[in-house]
Amino acid sequence: MAASLGTPKLSSPTFQNLCKKCKFPIKPFSSFSHYNKPNHFGSFNSFSHPPTRSYCRRFTTRADSTNVAEPPRKYDFDLFTIGAGSGGVRASRFAANFGASVAVCELPFATVSSDSTGGVGGTCVLRGCVPKKLLVYASKYSHEFEESCGFGWNYAAEPEHDWSTLIANKNAEIQRLAGIYKNTLKNAGVALIEGRGKIVDPHTVDVDGKIYSAKNILISVGGRPFIPDIPGSEYAIDSDAALDLPSKPRKIAIVGGGYIAVEFAGIFNGLKSDVHVFIRQKKVLRGFDEEIRDFVGEQMLLRGIEFHTEESPQAIIKSSDGSLSLKTNKGTIDGFSHIMFATGRKPNTKNLGLETVGVKLTENGAIEVDEYSQTSVPSIWAVGDVTDRINLTPVALMEGGALAKTLFANKPTKPEYSAVPSAVFSQPPIAQVGLTEEQAIKEYGDVDVHTANFRPLKATLSGLPDRIFMKLIVCAKTNKVIGLHMCGEDSPEIIQGFAVAVKAGLTKADFDATVGIHPTAAEELVTMRTPTRKVRRTPSEGKTDSEIKSTAGV
Amino acid sequence: MARKMLIDGEKGNPNGEETHYDFDLFVIGAGSGGVRASRFSAQYGAKVGICELPFHPVSSEVIGGVGGTCVIRGCVPKKILVYGASFGPELQDARSFGWELNERLDFDWKKLLHKKTEEILRLNGIYKRLLANSGVKLFEGEGKVVGPNEVEVTQLDGTKIGYSAKHILIATGSRAQRLPIPGQELAITSDEALSLEELPKRAVVLGAGYIAVEFASIWRGMGATVDLFYRKELPLRGFDDEMRAVVARNLEGRGINLHPNTNLTELVRTEDGIKVRTDHGEELMADVVLFATGRAPNTKRLNLEAVGVELDKIGAVKVDEYSQTNVPSIWAIGDATNRMNLTPVALMEGGYFAKTVFGGEPTKPDHTNVPSAVFCIPPLSVVGLSEEQATEQANGDVLVFTSTFNPMKNTISGRQEKTFMKLVVDSETDKVLGASMCGPDAPEIMQGIAIALKCGATKAQFDSTVGIHPSAAEEFVTLRSVTRRIAAGKPKTNL
Repeated sequence: MAASLGTPKLSSPTFQNLCKKCKFPIKPFSSFSHYNKPNHFGSFNSFSHPPTRSYCRRFTTRADSTNVAEPPRKYDFDLFTIGAGSGGVRASRFAANFGASVAVCELPFATVSSDSTGGVGGTCVLRGCVPKKLLVYASKYSHEFEESCGFGWNYAAEPEHDWSTLIANKNAEIQRLAGIYKNTLKNAGVALIEGRGKIVDPHTVDVDGKIYSAKNILISVGGRPFIPDIPGSEYAIDSDAALDLPSKPRKIAIVGGGYIAVEFAGIFNGLKSDVHVFIRQKKVLRGFDEEIRDFVGEQMLLRGIEFHTEESPQAIIKSSDGSLSLKTNKGTIDGFSHIMFATGRKPNTKNLGLETVGVKLTENGAIEVDEYSQTSVPSIWAVGDVTDRINLTPVALMEGGALAKTLFANKPTKPEYSAVPSAVFSQPPIAQVGLTEEQAIKEYGDVDVHTANFRPLKATLSGLPDRIFMKLIVCAKTNKVIGLHMCGEDSPEIIQGFAVAVKAGLTKADFDATVGIHPTAAEELVTMRTPTRKVRRTPSEGKTDSEIKSTAGV
Repeated sequence: MARKMLIDGEKGNPNGEETHYDFDLFVIGAGSGGVRASRFSAQYGAKVGICELPFHPVSSEVIGGVGGTCVIRGCVPKKILVYGASFGPELQDARSFGWELNERLDFDWKKLLHKKTEEILRLNGIYKRLLANSGVKLFEGEGKVVGPNEVEVTQLDGTKIGYSAKHILIATGSRAQRLPIPGQELAITSDEALSLEELPKRAVVLGAGYIAVEFASIWRGMGATVDLFYRKELPLRGFDDEMRAVVARNLEGRGINLHPNTNLTELVRTEDGIKVRTDHGEELMADVVLFATGRAPNTKRLNLEAVGVELDKIGAVKVDEYSQTNVPSIWAIGDATNRMNLTPVALMEGGYFAKTVFGGEPTKPDHTNVPSAVFCIPPLSVVGLSEEQATEQANGDVLVFTSTFNPMKNTISGRQEKTFMKLVVDSETDKVLGASMCGPDAPEIMQGIAIALKCGATKAQFDSTVGIHPSAAEEFVTLRSVTRRIAAGKPKTNL
């Protein structure tokens, strides 16, 4: 991953060294094991070494059912997992609960990830969902201070924010969580090995020179932020670094329009930094429902975020005073203390030995898997961001859980990707489940769209321009709710229950039959009586016919 | 349909000699249910009149206001005060997130009160406009039923006007009751509590229902010392016992002094405030004593007995499943019928009344799986059966799934308060019979869950739903292991 070499600039010297260090011992070591450790059957072709009966374990019968052709053999582990993030930990624990012997390897802990640093808990716990949400909580307070004034609360002085308190508390919490993750692994009987795992052959993993054989190997190494290679990109930070800055940005440029960009824009804006967002398109959040994109953009603007639309970064220039300038296709803006790139993430598939064993990758470096998360090498599996399916923690959990079932519970299970809800913790936040209006029209043609755009009770008192937008998309033919979108306070909490309803294939009539909880924002979703619009395919021939007839009849 | 409905245009007058009435429908009471029924009836083409008492935040026999309890002295102003009160502890928590605030935060009750009144006046205006826009004629004054098709409105100046109507709908709601103890006149009800001139420093709340715990939370959040007295071991009778215990623990954790198994016996005015005596012989001083000891239907002055409309023991109008009283032309909805006293239920009853009588589609309101919320701090929200009810009603064993967790926000703030969630599942059908939660955002979270329950969703369907991470709500779809299994017909011992 050439482009990401510039990413962890805070630790780049160590990073380079470690990279070099781990590259050299691996090859000789693995070849050594390959030829000189006959007890590691995994290093050899499975068919050439029929095992003795004594090597048959409880699990082999189970494993056999998934791969009848392979005779039982002795491995160090039934499952060796590379990467102890959400998906890896879930798969390992569940596999162990099903009776498998499991090991998982993970890089040493660091807040910023690299080829040589990671930590148990993975992106979600250490540099994703969790720290992000903690910072969202912190930054949201400035809005709450404003709101509270409308409810009679007074401040002698404008509340000031101390960045270092927040970051110290955040780091203490993620360390605690990493500890919990380690304990859950331990309690489940999973062996945790610290180091960089690399695949040597279909049944062998090398961790910093130590060789382990396994009946199955799971790759769950996740993804990492990607910064495009433009002049001065070494001055840019990514989301890893942004979650652990030594001081709060005074003025920050955020390049990108995805969920990470809008989340960090909200965080720094709430903490009173001057925030500029640069997006290539006209709107943020490509792929989301168009109306949601418009709405969240407006709300963020009202909270003080400055958007630079249709601007692509071309270079970063560092001035003599240390401040940064961002040159785009439209001009140059000066005076940034930080420039953050939220320009996508890439799967961590470099230096894993994948090419050597013949695991197929997609164009953007993700591991290709089938519906059961199996790669092109039958004994190697992959879950989570490294497969670039739906890059969400709960999806990785689902994939990890399903895989454990498939491999060790004799229950081949496909993860199910329909109606997966998700949230963007922008301010205000977004949550959604099912199809966007655009997707729904494409797929179903005739849809009824119900929308609500209202000022919540809290805003009428606070006097702030906060609003809530909701959209319900109904298939006209079946009356099923096929999409649900919301932007506004509490959206992520609200949508979860609705996701159960959408997943269960419930209809608009079912929504209507449900009594509201008053007074809440959520009750609006069960009290949408008239469609805002009915989208219909161009009139069918039959209909056109009848129109012609009636016209003729006049 | 088993019984003959009184459907518009279907009335027993086969020769088309329809009696002429001033109105197709006359509604007494313009609260949630009455306004909904009027508007919907008008939309079905009915000619509708509605009467309501003049506006005032505190209700009585002769004052009320368009919007009713919910808008003027219930849900809305209550929620506004809950918002106001929630900022107190919320702002304390901000410090751990790095915010530097003054040691003492200043709260201006008068400002909030003023803004609350502004807001309910605005909503009162919106309700009036809603009625006008749907062509409903609004009369200000006190309505009485004087015959099966006759109402009389006493206007503000005392003059009385009679109107005839094909159908009469009673939607007069209910009012807070006081406990008959010596000095009871010194106490206030929730009406006054929403409009106090001064914020009490010492508040005593009597009652165990949702109103009691909500006001206890409001005053505590605003900084008052609060003592909550109730007769039972736990507050919120009728809710899931475990949830009741959680609420009690949280109230206590937030600094409210709980006095279970205790009644008030006397209130005495003193120079230092109101002296409160309990049946345990305790005495304490209070600036405000709130009686949250139940509400009674507003049926006394409606002259219902005279026209033969049956009332129940507590004075609620008796109705059938279609909200029809024993006098076929008279109907009743909302709190006046004391079925399930919630605004959205009154809306449902009002809407279905209109559909039944004027929409040509007889529709029974369905009172099962109605979700509800208690806006104590943190709030409680439930839908479906409690564990106790489920144990009684389910055929097979009942599976109880619970989750107690520290909300993510508390990991930084250090607030010692756990969120608690529960799903009650029928082991035979896998149907989720009940869901409950106590913790931040519970009411918002429960709404979607309610749809699932309403439609008989199974635990497997919950499990197949992917979580939204990180949220509290995701716990509802990730409850994997059974906390306990209760054998059929063996109710759990009371907490």
